[in-house]
Amino acid sequence: MAINRRHVGYALPPFTVTVDPGRIAAFAHAIGERDPSASERVAPLTFMKVLEGEHGSSRKILEVLEVPLPRVLHAEQQFDYLAPIVPGQAVTVSRRVVDLYEKKGGAMEFIVIESVFTSEQAEVLGRSRQVVAVRNPSPGTRS
Amino acid sequence: MTSLAAASPGDVVAVTVYDPLRREDLVRYAEASGDTNPLHTDPAFARKAGFPDVIVHGMLTMALLGRLVTDNFPGRKVVGFSARFGAPLGVDEPITCRARLGGRDARGTTLELEAATGDRVVLTGRALLAPDDGRG
Repeated sequence: MAINRRHVGYALPPFTVTVDPGRIAAFAHAIGERDPSASERVAPLTFMKVLEGEHGSSRKILEVLEVPLPRVLHAEQQFDYLAPIVPGQAVTVSRRVVDLYEKKGGAMEFIVIESVFTSEQAEVLGRSRQVVAVRNPSPGTRS
Repeated sequence: MTSLAAASPGDVVAVTVYDPLRREDLVRYAEASGDTNPLHTDPAFARKAGFPDVIVHGMLTMALLGRLVTDNFPGRKVVGFSARFGAPLGVDEPITCRARLGGRDARGTTLELEAATGDRVVLTGRALLAPDDGRG
């Protein structure tokens, strides 16, 4: 299986998420933060991943690229923080596939997905860059 | 361990040993984060994917490293945070998170991060703190 290179540049339709304080608190609790009242005011560093995953957007990208879920692993993740994301704020998430490459003669393929987070005033709040590894069966092996 | 202000590159400036994550912790993280990949909650799916059992969400381990940074350096603005998930982490494995000073320049202070269970490093990462005169 090789991911079709024509998918480089594929962009999901942007979507807008209102940052729910309860969602931040539940997330902070799930990662073991001790002070839920403080964390309700400030989103944990990795919370942008939650926002970008809304509406099943990560699954949608895999479907478009025709990649089976059992073959994927999260390989790398990067966040850049430009302005705070605060409870109650409406954040628009724009995600696109910016690169596809392979290693080990195609045994491993990599999908690079970038997300941009913007406010209602079109201010860029942050960026995320994810590398998803796809493990392909070796030739002659049934998947 | 050295305070961040007094540290030289390579010095450990923060270390925390987190309790092993249990299956129910992964279920709770899946619900709270919306990451419902059954690799982290369904042992049969994990075996189909080639693992002996469920593995911890890489993003959950990264979140622990994020806590290491924000708990130890409160008030320092984090402008960048990245991770490479090098090896899978299973349930019931203790997790040691460490931060070393990477360096200081005009962009700020770089911390080199790692999460390990025993001698096995599962995640390496980096955080960039905005410049903050006098506090490293």
